[in-house]
Amino acid sequence: MSLHLQSVRVKTGSHDTEGLLIFADDLLVAVLVRLSDDHEEDAGKWFLEAGFDGADDPVQPKFVDLDEAQAWIYRRLGGH
Amino acid sequence: MTPTFNHSMDMLIRKLDSIAQLSDEERRAIASLPVTGRLLGPDQDIVHEHDHPSQCCLLLDGWACRYQILSEGKRQIFSFHIPGDIPDLQSLHLKVMDHNVCTLTQATVAFIPHEAMLELTAAFPAIAATLWRDTLVDGAIFRQWMVGMGRRTACQAVAHLFCEMYVKLEAVGLARDHAYYLPLTQSELGDALGLSNVHVNRVLRELRTNEWITLHGGKLEIKKWRELTNLCGFDPTYLHLERHAA
Repeated sequence: MSLHLQSVRVKTGSHDTEGLLIFADDLLVAVLVRLSDDHEEDAGKWFLEAGFDGADDPVQPKFVDLDEAQAWIYRRLGGH
Repeated sequence: MTPTFNHSMDMLIRKLDSIAQLSDEERRAIASLPVTGRLLGPDQDIVHEHDHPSQCCLLLDGWACRYQILSEGKRQIFSFHIPGDIPDLQSLHLKVMDHNVCTLTQATVAFIPHEAMLELTAAFPAIAATLWRDTLVDGAIFRQWMVGMGRRTACQAVAHLFCEMYVKLEAVGLARDHAYYLPLTQSELGDALGLSNVHVNRVLRELRTNEWITLHGGKLEIKKWRELTNLCGFDPTYLHLERHAA
């Protein structure tokens, strides 16, 4: 299983519009959004806006960078 | 610090008065409860899960919450408490704590021995009934929180909590004109509502941008009470107060 990233703009109802679609092979598994300056100390982190098939959580996590985000998604999808 | 706390039992009397009518004799009996006062710092545990308490904790000043820590360190807050509340009242009849209680702010508390509470409730069945009523209201609040976590949007859940805390604070004389001191962080709001603090942040911005609320230095003012209550379907019936805020 390999992850692919694709830039996208997301309407979150906030200034957090810069996003990424994450595909596992050719299936969409997550949508990440980069947190705007509105979030102060969390600005610049990647937020799991949506996730599918295990790559989700009732309270969505934040990741300091894309490596951390991809590692979490990969682990959640059972890629270990 | 060990000031005389008996006059502070007024806070408990005020709380119980908000949900039932007490006689003068019952008020005097509550006022003469033997209590031990303590000043606690913020984020200090008052009672822990699995403890076997021998006393109840009456909150006289400040805010507290009930909570549990889950695997991976996640925290679920079950309820927020304000002066006049006895968050661990259940320990009077349930011997083992099934959750934790901690302060959220600096707080003044009065510990009441279980023995004294049991004697009081045996001597004054109406007080026992009022405390029972309080725990039933507690259950009604839990039902609303379930609706909040299961069925309300993030914005509705935050709005509902803001309305609920206003009505509770107003009932004990700690809020008026749709404004109050809200000493909660975004993380604490998120832990209570099952929301990420990202969503809490977005909701607060939206409510402020729409000028439905202002929130400066911990002071929350609800500028558009009717709009806010309509947004989240807030109906204070479940708080079973003698008087309703409008």
